[in-house]
Amino acid sequence: MTYLKAENISKSFGGVHAVLNVSIEVPENSIFALIGPNGAGKSTLLNLLSGIYQPDAGQLYFQGKNLIGLPAHRRVRLGLARTFQKIRLFKQLTLLENVRAGFHVHQNEPFWKYLALGSVGRFDAEARELLDFVGLASRAGERAGALPYGKQRMLEIARALATRPRLFMLDEPAAGLNASEVDFLLDRLTRIGRRGITVVVVEHNMDLVMNVAHRVFVMDHGEPLFEGTPREVQDNPRVIEAYLGGEFAA
Amino acid sequence: MTDLLALVVQQSINGIYLGCLYVMVALGLTLIYGVLNQINFAHADFVTVGAFAAFFTVTRLGTKVLGLPDTAAYLLSMVTALGVGAALGLAINAAVFAPLRERGDELRPLIATIGVSVLLENFQLWLFGPIPYQFDSPFSSETIRIGRIFFTAQSVLVVAVSSSAIAALYLFMKFTFVGKALRAVAQDRETAGLMGIDPNRLIALTIVIASALAGMGGALLGPVLVLTPFAGATVIVKAFAIVIIGGFGNMQGTIIAGLLVGIIEAFTVQYLGSGLIDLVVFVLLLVMLALRPTGLVAERKEENV
Amino acid sequence: MSARFAALLAAVLVVAMLPWLLQTPYWRGILVLCAMNVLLALSLNLVLGYTGQLNLGQSAFFAIGAYVSTILVKTYGWNFWAASLAAVGAAGLLGLALAAFAVRLRGHYLAIASLGFAVITYQVLVNWEKVTEGVRGIYGILPPVGSTIGLFYLVAGIALLVYVLIDNLVRSPVGDTLRAIREDEISAASLGINGALWKAFAFGLGAAIAGLAGCFYPGFVGTLVPDAFNIIESFTMMAMVIVGGMGTMIGPVIGAIVLTFLPEVLREFGEFRLMIYGLALTLVVLFMPGGIVQAWRTLVGKPITGNR
Repeated sequence: MTYLKAENISKSFGGVHAVLNVSIEVPENSIFALIGPNGAGKSTLLNLLSGIYQPDAGQLYFQGKNLIGLPAHRRVRLGLARTFQKIRLFKQLTLLENVRAGFHVHQNEPFWKYLALGSVGRFDAEARELLDFVGLASRAGERAGALPYGKQRMLEIARALATRPRLFMLDEPAAGLNASEVDFLLDRLTRIGRRGITVVVVEHNMDLVMNVAHRVFVMDHGEPLFEGTPREVQDNPRVIEAYLGGEFAA
Repeated sequence: MTDLLALVVQQSINGIYLGCLYVMVALGLTLIYGVLNQINFAHADFVTVGAFAAFFTVTRLGTKVLGLPDTAAYLLSMVTALGVGAALGLAINAAVFAPLRERGDELRPLIATIGVSVLLENFQLWLFGPIPYQFDSPFSSETIRIGRIFFTAQSVLVVAVSSSAIAALYLFMKFTFVGKALRAVAQDRETAGLMGIDPNRLIALTIVIASALAGMGGALLGPVLVLTPFAGATVIVKAFAIVIIGGFGNMQGTIIAGLLVGIIEAFTVQYLGSGLIDLVVFVLLLVMLALRPTGLVAERKEENV
Repeated sequence: MSARFAALLAAVLVVAMLPWLLQTPYWRGILVLCAMNVLLALSLNLVLGYTGQLNLGQSAFFAIGAYVSTILVKTYGWNFWAASLAAVGAAGLLGLALAAFAVRLRGHYLAIASLGFAVITYQVLVNWEKVTEGVRGIYGILPPVGSTIGLFYLVAGIALLVYVLIDNLVRSPVGDTLRAIREDEISAASLGINGALWKAFAFGLGAAIAGLAGCFYPGFVGTLVPDAFNIIESFTMMAMVIVGGMGTMIGPVIGAIVLTFLPEVLREFGEFRLMIYGLALTLVVLFMPGGIVQAWRTLVGKPITGNR
């Protein structure tokens, strides 16, 4: 079943098209990569999928449900989660508090209980498990803002996973990571995929794309360029031309 | 000239007079916001301090100490008020805005300036007491009459001085190197810095200019204002409204909005009284914020995610 | 739970003893004022400290609580408690109205809009003389409890209760949600948090608590004039929250106590009350933004992780 489907989606800002007539179909349980040179509109597309922007035209469906008009926070309840290109952690809060905030959509205690009892229904144990998954369990009580960059990225992933998504979108998760951090990220993304979560990842890093993705969608100047398996994409002359050969030396 | 037409013209003139005063105060606010993305809550208190400086110049310094005639003393008071405003601007930049700049925190400087405002107002209260000070500009008693329209020499002076100041500022921003550098810093501080412009000094300059304008505005407003230490509080309401309606950081918008508010006030003050004017202005402001949060003239900026 | 319970017990004991430590009617009056300020500071802290909304209009809700309850009692003969309930409801509703602005506005815009809110409320109180008696004021208002000690126990008891409830709320997932909104609304939305809804909640609850404090104010003073709810009161509340320690539970309490008693202790400097507030606010924001709580924690050696 097509899990996430966009049909002829367009979005422009101040008269300039960031995304023009893009159609995507993401199959369930796949790892789907979105690539393209800088300014291709990948992040904008992700923002459209996650609900930060509403498209000017086109259709958007998740598991058959229409997403148009649905604000970002409602899409999370449907099972869509995301991370950001520019890390947006809750810097003043601890790691544990960051991840705990992610369990918001699963809170179902009656309100009076919070008022009367306080720390009920907190997902502390699950939050620690998620921190462990990204290798940060020992630092749960530290301030998120104090973490080094690479670990902040992983924290963002743990926090988004707290929403228990069915489809997880990541915006350039490998940006700014060193080689061993990228390896760790690759490993975690594979595991996430194996847990049955569909992954959509915007990336520049070809290691990640080639090793992990099942399908790749290439964009250029806001428009679709090509779609196929990683191998097909790597060999396609138009794609190579769009990148001017720079990043395909993987 | 018919009665109605005369009335309309008369009130329009009054409105422009008031509007010019408001623009002088509001321009400073919008300038600071444009360059620093900060609001100086104490701005209107600079107006009050300027007005007090003008008071003492007119009643003591100019006349008694220097022996100047009234008219010269009043003109001198504009200069001292300007100087006092500039000094205050330097002080608040050094104490509040400069130290907090690297942090990038939006709200701390605002709250700090609220503290400064409260401090300034109550310090003046201790110095000067709560009873309103009264000083007249010697130009207020000279009336000029064209047909059925009356205005005072004071209003001519005010409009002349403020519009010259505003025009000078506008030309300065548009055509001089420093002015352009200021606009560069407003748009993108980092890049401006990379191009060899020292943003810190320029920001300091902006704040000094803005505060000097406020101070001088105090001298011009002084004769019309109920001059207590809390006079700033009545002005800041309208100043904020003007800056928001005109669009934060937008000079043209602020000028238009300021004149608009002045004209509205001139037309309605006889029916409403000044307290209700505040109410009307703020209701307009809230309506504005509900409908077009970025102001009349500015464009919408999508948040960069 | 046990440590908290012990602290609560200690607080109850201290509160019970206070009127016997400060025996003159004047100081007992200050105690009542202090209890009211604690309530007000807690209410603003919920909106400003925990949800991160720069609300300069909290004095409006304090005013609504005072006026609605007083008018219902004096003009319509309502019972004090029923009138207070209605007043709290009215304040809460008004809080929701302000929240409607907060949803669309950030930072400076919200600050000014909320200020406008307070100014408009003040002007309505001054000018709607038929209902509020305007600047002439309403006289002869009786407190719900005759003695000052009794009034103190009542207000302080309510403040303690409100403290416990909000503390519970803040320790619960609701607290996580509010702080997420404070830190970064957009990523909070990416976690499924409905910013508009929770801002409305914070504003409404904060306004209701401020209104609750307002119900006791006219009876305490005996008369009711609009000037008691000038926008300077918003700044005073803000000073208490920030000087004490914004975004913590005990901070606003400390701030309220310190800023209520300090001007009294420095008796000769009574007229400097507001100057002290202004100075304290400026210095704290510049040098110790976490307020007295931050100073204490640094002194004691506890690192600042998260908030409580």
